[in-house]
Amino acid sequence: MSENAAILTVRGLQTHFFTMDGVVKAVDGVSFAVGRRQTFALVGESGCGKSVTALSIMRLVPHPPGRIVAGEVLLDGTSLLALRERQMRQVRGAKVSMIFQEPMTSLNPVYTVGNQIVEAIRLHQRLPGRRARDQAVAVLSQVGIPDPAQRYKEYPHQLSGGMRQRAMIAMALSCDPDLLIADEPTTALDVTIEAQILDLLKRLKAERGLTIMLITHDLAVVAETADVVAVMYASKLVELADVQALFQRPLHPYTQGLFRSLPRLGQKKRRLETIPGSVPNPLAFPAGCKFHPRCLIGAGLERCQTAEPPLRLLQPNHYAACWECPGYAEAPAGDPAAAPIPYHPPEQNEPAD
Amino acid sequence: MTISGAPGGADARSLWGDAARRLRRDKAAVACFAVVVLYALIAVVCPFVWSDWADSYDYDNINRPPSLTHPMGTDEFGRSVLQKTLLGASTSMTVGFMANIIAVPLGIVLGAVAGYYGGRLDDLIVWFYTTVASIPGLIRLIAIKFAFAETVLFANTPFEMDLGHGMSGVYIALGMMSWVGTCRLVRAEVMKIRELDYVLAARAVGTPSIVILFRHVVPNVLHIGIINFSLGFVGAISAEVMLSYLGLGVGTGIPSWGAMIDAAKMDLVVGRWWEITSAVAATFLIVLAWNIVGDRLRDALDPRLRTA
Repeated sequence: MSENAAILTVRGLQTHFFTMDGVVKAVDGVSFAVGRRQTFALVGESGCGKSVTALSIMRLVPHPPGRIVAGEVLLDGTSLLALRERQMRQVRGAKVSMIFQEPMTSLNPVYTVGNQIVEAIRLHQRLPGRRARDQAVAVLSQVGIPDPAQRYKEYPHQLSGGMRQRAMIAMALSCDPDLLIADEPTTALDVTIEAQILDLLKRLKAERGLTIMLITHDLAVVAETADVVAVMYASKLVELADVQALFQRPLHPYTQGLFRSLPRLGQKKRRLETIPGSVPNPLAFPAGCKFHPRCLIGAGLERCQTAEPPLRLLQPNHYAACWECPGYAEAPAGDPAAAPIPYHPPEQNEPAD
Repeated sequence: MTISGAPGGADARSLWGDAARRLRRDKAAVACFAVVVLYALIAVVCPFVWSDWADSYDYDNINRPPSLTHPMGTDEFGRSVLQKTLLGASTSMTVGFMANIIAVPLGIVLGAVAGYYGGRLDDLIVWFYTTVASIPGLIRLIAIKFAFAETVLFANTPFEMDLGHGMSGVYIALGMMSWVGTCRLVRAEVMKIRELDYVLAARAVGTPSIVILFRHVVPNVLHIGIINFSLGFVGAISAEVMLSYLGLGVGTGIPSWGAMIDAAKMDLVVGRWWEITSAVAATFLIVLAWNIVGDRLRDALDPRLRTA
């Protein structure tokens, strides 16, 4: 398998919510490709559409009111949006799995942890009870749960938050999917547990050749784990690059604003910098570039107010969508869904296929 | 070994374990539950002990007041009123139990389906139960009983049910009208539960929706079923008494508190108080006991009513 093969391609995805007040375009033309064994981070603030993007890939958008109105999602060459619901169920869990933000509510309180993992296993594999049980205990042990045979028999309320998130990961990985979508997996956990869970994800990625799509609003988590980063703002991607390029030289004013608002060690400041204004109302996005009312550069510029910039390839493997980026006018459009952005962390060499 | 488990072991903190513990500590609940169990035993045992009671005519001793041989006196055929009352427990408990065995699962299934799937199916079920609920209870019951008048189910089989005259007509009619409350509560609760993360998590590993509904959602609303079962039991017992009083209940020959009250309404004028007293006392005690049990059960099982 070629290094550059995409395991997941999302092209022109549009997911809209048809509400009483009007159509909310929660995801509005998002394209990207995720390379095999990459950790692809989707970053953005609350309400920008990152979770809906993930749910759209899983085809779990609450319907009504939500509906995927356009686009294509390819997983390992299979077009997920074209599948029947029955076929899609075969994909969920077995090919792509998802874990959620709230480990406290992600497990059913009335069943033991083991019971729920066994259920996931037996949905996809015809296994006798004993073998399914052994497999569940094995996967619990793989996610670093001590005394897995005992934990197998315990109820969710008997586990701590970190343990529950591990159990969730175990359930999601029990059928050995290729892709794991992690929707803010550490947001509800405290920092020490967060570090443990991120380490666990990294280890699982290395051990199982897992691809991870990580959804977060935390740039520290991105720096820690991601290979490729997509920044989302108001239902669209505004920047897409490998993690080093993005952290060293963010191109889009929104991304730059995010970095400016981070606290830095050794810097004495009374207040952190902020991005002025607030997230636009998804029912009435501003005309032109959706970021222009908050933008330090484009706020007064006519083009920013009237025309929305598409993603363009500004540097090799670095996309951004901003009229005022240096070189944007001459840059080719590029297709972020055509191929994943290659990235290998400089210090550690991943084993090649 | 349990590291993070609660003190007192694994099941002390589960919903059911916790509820059982609360109930055990509650003396009134325990006493009332004992009364219910006693009635159930009477209901099971007495029909075997006095299987020939209905034909135990004694025309020399009709309408006798309480005495040592007949502690609660005798009825118009000289039969023991005490025995009649105890046998009536069988009718009441059967009607209460069977009516709820029909109503509660019906309410849970319809409510869960409506709440989980929503849309047209929900509209249909809500329309159905609001229609049923809009007819006053007693009239609904009488209407169903009249509709049953000549109906015999499973005729000439061991399961023969004479809906017009037997007990089965009463509990089927009651069961068919008392599911609405359960259905409403379950529907509302399921609408809440279907939005929870564990339902989404189950979908994310490919669980079919029908499996999610019955494996992940319904077990979390079962406590509503149990509470409504106990409260519905009271309703069914009272309704049976009421129907029998109106002459629409169980047929003649089947001992029933309602029929006893009905028969005694003329007796009272001539001073024969024992039959109506026995029937009312028996009804009063079981209704009170079931009400308290149901109430305490709700306190113990409904997390919203919990303190600490």
